[in-house]
This record gives sequence, C-alpha cells and structure tokens, in this order.
Amino acid sequence: MKRRTLLQLGVVGGTLVSLAGAGLALTRPGLRDGRLTPAGREVFAAVARAVLHGVLPAADPAAALQGHLDRVDATIASFPPAMQAELGQLVTLLASPPGRLLLTGLQPDWPDASTSQVQVMLQGLRVSSLPLRLQTFHALRDVTNAAYFADSGTWSVMGYPGPRAV
Amino acid sequence: MNAIPDPIRAGLARGWKVSGGPHGAPPEAITCDVAIVGSGAGAGITAELLSAAGLSVVIVEEGPLRSSSDFKQLESEAYPALYQESASRRTADKAIGILQGRCVGGSTTVNWTSSFRTPSSTLQYWRDHFGLADMSDEAMAPWFQQVEQRLSIGPWLALPNENNQLLRTGAARLGIPAAAIMRNVKGCHNLGSCGMGCPTNAKQSMLVTTLPAALDRGARLLVQTRVQRIRIDGQRAQGLECVPVALNGARAAGPGTSITARHVVVAGGAINSPALLMRSRAADPHGLLGARTFLHPVVLSAATFHQRVEGWSGAPQTLYSDHFLEVDAIDGPIGYKLEAPPVHPIIFSLTVTGFGAEQAAALRQFPHTHALLALLRDGFHPLSVGGKVGLRSDGSPELDYPLNDFVMDGARRALLSMAEIQFAAGARTVTPSHELASPYATWAEARAGIAALPMKPLLTRVFSAHVMGGCAMAGSPEQGVVRPDGNHWQLQGLSVHDGSLFPTSVGANPQLSVYGLAARLATGLAKSLTGQDVRLA
Repeated sequence: MKRRTLLQLGVVGGTLVSLAGAGLALTRPGLRDGRLTPAGREVFAAVARAVLHGVLPAADPAAALQGHLDRVDATIASFPPAMQAELGQLVTLLASPPGRLLLTGLQPDWPDASTSQVQVMLQGLRVSSLPLRLQTFHALRDVTNAAYFADSGTWSVMGYPGPRAV
Repeated sequence: MNAIPDPIRAGLARGWKVSGGPHGAPPEAITCDVAIVGSGAGAGITAELLSAAGLSVVIVEEGPLRSSSDFKQLESEAYPALYQESASRRTADKAIGILQGRCVGGSTTVNWTSSFRTPSSTLQYWRDHFGLADMSDEAMAPWFQQVEQRLSIGPWLALPNENNQLLRTGAARLGIPAAAIMRNVKGCHNLGSCGMGCPTNAKQSMLVTTLPAALDRGARLLVQTRVQRIRIDGQRAQGLECVPVALNGARAAGPGTSITARHVVVAGGAINSPALLMRSRAADPHGLLGARTFLHPVVLSAATFHQRVEGWSGAPQTLYSDHFLEVDAIDGPIGYKLEAPPVHPIIFSLTVTGFGAEQAAALRQFPHTHALLALLRDGFHPLSVGGKVGLRSDGSPELDYPLNDFVMDGARRALLSMAEIQFAAGARTVTPSHELASPYATWAEARAGIAALPMKPLLTRVFSAHVMGGCAMAGSPEQGVVRPDGNHWQLQGLSVHDGSLFPTSVGANPQLSVYGLAARLATGLAKSLTGQDVRLA
C-alpha cells in the first residue's frame, strides 16, 4: 500500500498498518502473477453479483459470472505492472477477513454475503468521506463494468448493435 | 476479408525498416542523425520534415504498430492495445481518468479528429506571461495552413449526428451559438469509431500520413520499445537507452538498444516526456520539469430523450460551443468548452454512476442517451496550476493533479450549463456524472440538485483526453524547460516537440496546436542541422 494512500486512511489506516506490522496473516494474496487467485475471484464474484444485478442474464447467471471473471483476469493482465501491484494489494486486503471488515464493513465472508449485503457495503464506500474507501469503490466497480461489457454477448441489454458495417 | 487496403501492411511489404515486438529484435546499437522519442502528433510531423532534409531518423515507440486491418471497432481490443495503461491511466488520487494514446501514431491514432487552431486568447496569454513574443496569430498562421493542407483538415460537411444536433438545438433555444468542428479526415465513412482506430484510413492521423512519408524515405521505426533514459554527457544529449516492453508495458526479454544521435527530439507526450527527462536526470535548475501539467478536466452530463440518439453512430464531435469560454476573462473563473463525445458500451458504463438496478436502468437507456461534455480551460488563473509528474519506484510516471475548489466550481457551472441545454433540447431526464446525482426530470429540479451537490473529487466523475504541459516552452529559463525554438534551455542536442510544451492548457482540442508548433520547430531544427528549407508534402 502506497505511503500516500496510507496517510489518507486516518484511524482505519492506523489499524491496518498495525495489523500488517503485527504480521497478521495476509497470506491469501488476491493476485498471483497478474491473475486472480481463488480468494481474489471470490471478491470479484461477490462484487459482480451486486454491481451487475439487473444486467446479469436470468438464465444461467453462474455461467455468465464465470465468463465475466475470466474477463476480469484478462483486464487485469492488460494493466501495467505498477497498476497490477496496487490492485493486487487492494484485493489481498479485501480477501482477508480483518482487511475486509476494516475497509468495507462487510461482516460475512465474500461467498456468504447476500447480493443486498454487498450492495449496502458498496453504497457505503461510494459516499464515504475516506478517500481510500471512495477509491476502493471506483476500482471494484470500474474493473467490473469494463470487464463485463467487453463481451458482445452483454450488449443486447444495452441495445447496442455492435460495430458499424464498413 | 477487409476490402480496404491497409497502407501500413503495404509499407511493410515494400521494405519499411520496422523492428521491435513481432517485427524482430532491433539491433543492440544504432547510430543516426536524429532520434525521436514517441510517434504521435509532434513526432510524426518532426519525422517527416527531418527526413525530407535528408537526415537519418530513428523513431522509438513504446506501443505496438497497429493499422486499419487490426481496427475492428471493439473497445475490448482498442483500450489494451492502443491506449496508455489500458485506457485506465489515472491521477495519483484516482480522481481523474486519463485517455492518452500509446501506439504508433500516439493519441492521433485514437482521437476523435477535432481540429482547432490555438485560440488567439491563448496565444496572447503566452506572449504576455511566458515571454513567447513570436507566438502570434500571424506568425502561427502559415504553420497551421501547412499542416491543415497536409492532414486534410477542413470543415465537416455531412449532417451532424443526433448526439451533436441536440447540442446545437438546445443551445440555440438559449441563444447560444454552436459551430462546426474541423476534422482531419479524407473520405470519412461517418462511422463514429475513431476512438478505436479508424478502420477505413479516413482519419489523417500520423499513422497514415507523416510516419509513412518518413518510413518511405528510409527512417527506422522501433516499436514496443521504451526509452528508459536519454544518455547525457555533461551538457549534451548523446542518444537513447531503450528496452523492449510487452503490450502491458512490462519489461520484455531482450538486451535492449543503445542509440547514438547528433540530436534527440523528445515527443512522447505530456506526462511521458517529463518523466523521461526525470529518469535521465536532465538539468532542471528551476524545478519546472513535470510541473504545470494540464488536463482540460472533463465533466459529463447524460440525458435521455424520447427519440433514439445512438451516440455510438456517426462522426463524433462535429459541433461545439465556446460560449462559456467567453463569459469571463481567460484568467478569471475557469471557463469551459462544450462538445458531444462518442459513447460506446464500456466507456458508457464507466460514465454512468451507481451500480445494480440504478446502473442497469441507465444502461438500458443507452440508445436514447445524449452525452455532453465540458472541457475546463485550466492553467490561466493563479489558482489553476495543474498537476505535477512524479516517478514511481519502477520509473513509470504518475501525475498528481489535485482538483481544488477553483476547478470544481467550474465543474459545477459546467454541469448546470449542460443540464440547461439538454432540457432546452427536449430531454426527458438529465443525470450529471456525479455519485450523488439522480436523474432530474426538469431544469428547475436539476438547477437545485446540482447547486446542492458536494463538488468533491471521486464523487464527481472527471476525465481527461488532453494531456498538456510539463516541459513548458518559455522565453526564459526561469519559466521554461525549452526555448522558443524547442531546444532545451540547459542541454545541447535536445529538443521537445509535443504537447508537453504548452505553458498552459490550450483551451481547445490540442492536436492542431501540436502539429502547427511541431512543424514550426522541426523546420527550424532541419535548417539548423542541414541548412535546408523543408516543408510537409
């Protein structure tokens, strides 16, 4: 976590820094070699169910979600190393129970949280007075949208017909 | 099969000297007359003029070489291949999303063709405040004429699409004129996919004009190759140290290339050029490098209409209004220029705010959605000092541009202006791109709602497609990194020929300003290196 970002955390930051300092196990990295780990996928799967509620297809949402998570991987792989590192730190923090609680306030673990619990959590980030929480909201939402709508199979809900005929 | 001939593939078949990435490893050592960093607006103009003077030129581009047969009008392919940081470059506090090109042709390969000469009021400010006595309308006119002719810059005569018409209709009902934007196109098919690379070669970017001219004269192009630093010996630039990079910018396998040159022209664009000079430890006695980097910060307003708008379809940005640049003095409260940008699925999903059902409802309205943007004219008031480029630990650049109250006051006024125009045009709803805004059903509701919005960074969605400054040109070393002729104030054998030269924002879409200035500087450089007078084809 970059120093400048930590300084913006205030109370939350102080606690996170002391957690890291105490060597509390952040042993479930969110990214490995630029790809989501199983723990990272759990974070993005829960976020997707909340952010994409209303556009995920009613028939076989599980398959749509798997396709989406593969596209999240591809999106992250296209980022430069510094951006991957930063996002990786964030996802690792979110994937760890103390990090998840401190940063987002979400009580249940990601796979156990209901869509509406994740949505309440996201809304809290969205209007927070803490820059790190606002940044977390945008990172999760923007990566989710950019990855999801990259696929032409998602465009019919938007009424977008695809590339123009040349 | 794509029936449109690809001029880049044809050039490669004719024997253009291109290496790097899939074109084979470049040599480990190259000697030339002039090494050019980057291949965008300033680099392309410079490459054509210097090669016309008979100089041997090497162009080093960190992005890939892609061309019309690669351009499938897909954001999923365009953003990772053709844009800096996969179109996700952001300022340090993440509050501004930056769209900047990173491919052969630079931002000119992915821009929306809008062509404006540098406004008279901007040139006046540069003369008055930056010692640039020769930056007058009269002095610049022949340069603009030359590049306008070279790049087929002219008025767009076809009917503006609905997304643009609504700007004119709404503005006209408020007594505000909107005029046509000139475009650098020849035989345009009116698709609207400029931002994903032009699939028909109608857009007269550097990719299909000046770079082919230089390559046809024997210039060498290294792609997927990043300049790590300029070799500086005492007071003189000696050449470039370059390394191969992958498509995501990570260091790739390979020994790298050392270029030795009589002269180095830095034209990697704002943010990138100052960062290169910092990595090279270039002399910077007045701490100017990377400072005063400007963005024309953009705020957006999405409106829904009964009729279909289809903002993805048709030539983008064909009408504009400068009305709100003329209400106050250039160094008064920040003014803004209004345009109607193209919207495609990914970028639309990043512009609408919210998530879940709120977002889904907005996305379903895509075919009926009108998008307006306001470009804030930063850099003229004492409270608008822009941002500062810094280096991360891996040497990559990062722009720290704090959005202060002065700029955000302009953002609020811009959201108000856009909402009023959209309702005047007949909008059913207007939603400013702000986390706390909901769709407003009337102008009265919008006026009250926008007045009450906390105009804070990260709550307000802010973008930039125009990155300017950081290697300012000025008449004295106290104010400029480079002299009025483009040469570095402290170092010999080194020039800057790109948008990082501008001492303030331009106050208009910048490509023609870069072309005109680069033509003037490169003609001067060719003359000083060879004694020859050259001009663009």
